Amino acid sequence: MPLQALRSATKPQNGVGAFILQCKKLDFHYCDWAGSSKGMNAFLQHNLPTFARQNPQVEITVSPRPRKHPVIRGTYINGREKAVCVKNLEKDQILKKAELLRDASGEKLRRVTKPVKSVNESVRGVWDPFHGAKWNI
Amino acid sequence: MGAFEGIDKLGRYQPPTESCRHDHIPSPHPEAAVHSPKLAALHARLSLPERLPLQTLARSLVDVSADSDPAFNNSSLAILGSDILGYYTSEFLLCHYPRLPMVVLFAAQSAYVGPKTLAALSQEWGVEAAACPGGEVDPGLLQFTQVDPGAPPPDMLKPGTTSRPNDDRHYRRGLSSRIVYDDQFGDMKANPDSGIAITGSSTSFPSSPSRSQPTFPPPSSSLSSTLTSHRPNLGPDRQPTASRTTAYAPPPSRNGTTHERARQTFVRALCGALYLHCGKPYTRSFFRAHILSRSLRPSTPSPATSSLPSSSAPQGLASLFAFTQPTRDLSRLCAREGFEPPVARLISETGRASRHPVFVVGVYSGRDKLGEGAGSSLDEARFRAAANALRGWYLYTPGEGEVSMPSETEIGAGGGNGRERGGGKKYIPPFIDPGEVVV
Repeated sequence: MPLQALRSATKPQNGVGAFILQCKKLDFHYCDWAGSSKGMNAFLQHNLPTFARQNPQVEITVSPRPRKHPVIRGTYINGREKAVCVKNLEKDQILKKAELLRDASGEKLRRVTKPVKSVNESVRGVWDPFHGAKWNI
Repeated sequence: MGAFEGIDKLGRYQPPTESCRHDHIPSPHPEAAVHSPKLAALHARLSLPERLPLQTLARSLVDVSADSDPAFNNSSLAILGSDILGYYTSEFLLCHYPRLPMVVLFAAQSAYVGPKTLAALSQEWGVEAAACPGGEVDPGLLQFTQVDPGAPPPDMLKPGTTSRPNDDRHYRRGLSSRIVYDDQFGDMKANPDSGIAITGSSTSFPSSPSRSQPTFPPPSSSLSSTLTSHRPNLGPDRQPTASRTTAYAPPPSRNGTTHERARQTFVRALCGALYLHCGKPYTRSFFRAHILSRSLRPSTPSPATSSLPSSSAPQGLASLFAFTQPTRDLSRLCAREGFEPPVARLISETGRASRHPVFVVGVYSGRDKLGEGAGSSLDEARFRAAANALRGWYLYTPGEGEVSMPSETEIGAGGGNGRERGGGKKYIPPFIDPGEVVV
């Protein structure tokens, strides 16, 4: 049988070439009555238009959530969601939280212990007893 | 453009009155595209230029199974996009790796722009699917009709429906006939006259005799008016149902499609739309940024490829080779090229009598080492060495400055050093190889 080929598919490398922001949607929930939404309501009135204009790649929805604490919920390309409760926060603190959700990748938070994580093979290669200096004893 | 009927001037949703309901049309109205936050977000997420209007992006999201009208679905754009993707990929592979064997070229083509890759790509772009297509659905969602459960898959090819003559006789599909009859991935494709809507490599309309509409409005500044002229303003005098039923009656039984096929068609259609609206230079850079930048690498790093250069593309291409008799191929290659016949020599070994012996064998042609491989038996190491020698031959690439792809040299191609205004790179004739060894 002559030479055959294996079928495979290329894998994404986000940021090599094009970068796709992983946060695709941000939902802002507020309450008109409750005091814990005071900062959120100020944020929606003053900061959100600028924030939305600066981040056109994120779909933004604003909806009331009566008698509940205000929440920002991010939806990510990998299908996960991340929600942050912003009760009693000032509008600048809420902006920080919105930026945090925008910049998140949607992955579960894990403790990173290794300094480098790479899918590429090591440049130096795996140690091999048959190459390199020959020791004659 | 007039205000969209469902939205008032402040962007608030108004319940549709009886005269302007959109749920009778099979896919969203083009005017709805400019009011969809999902669509605008997708446009910005892909950093698409302003020249690609939202209406066209919305149209590229409508599959033929959702709207059978070729003026509103993405099938014509997908045909163009499929050809563009195939062209850019094959010119990259052929100019950079001129000695690639044909089967590996097919496999590489399928790895870069094959169905699986394109379907994954649209998911990585964050494209969501609508549960069911319709005129009232958000135009930022992928619109398609699911194939009925239990029905045969839409891409199943029966004898008599492929593009091959005498395909009911089950002749062997040789490599030469695959080049002639099959698609860009060497897979069987449906005959355009057979009535099967194909999206595997190229898309075709379902066979219906009364399709005489223009397939795509020309890209112009008045695109919105062009689009809306096809789908007239839904005033009380021109009801959507009336105009649809007289002009384009949807077929009674819709052929559904799968989610994966609809996603592939969207990516192809988007490339086609980019080509029409933004031109060749932008389409090329989009292709490089989104498709060529993906990594083709083996799932597990194998020791067989470790002696190759560490750039990602040749390593990935090396993982596509599946040799059956590498030693025979190598001796044929040496005979053809006039090299001395290859000889395998043991370079080093350890633990011959132990449970884990390792032998390192090199294949030599005269005084030149062609390849080297390690294995747990002498034969395994010899085969690996011959396979590595063949990979080294087939993955020859000219130096970085000595490759120019035809699309780079076109006038207005942008890139390169651009000595004259709008001129492309200097054309360097590509290396032409006699071909793979025939055994």
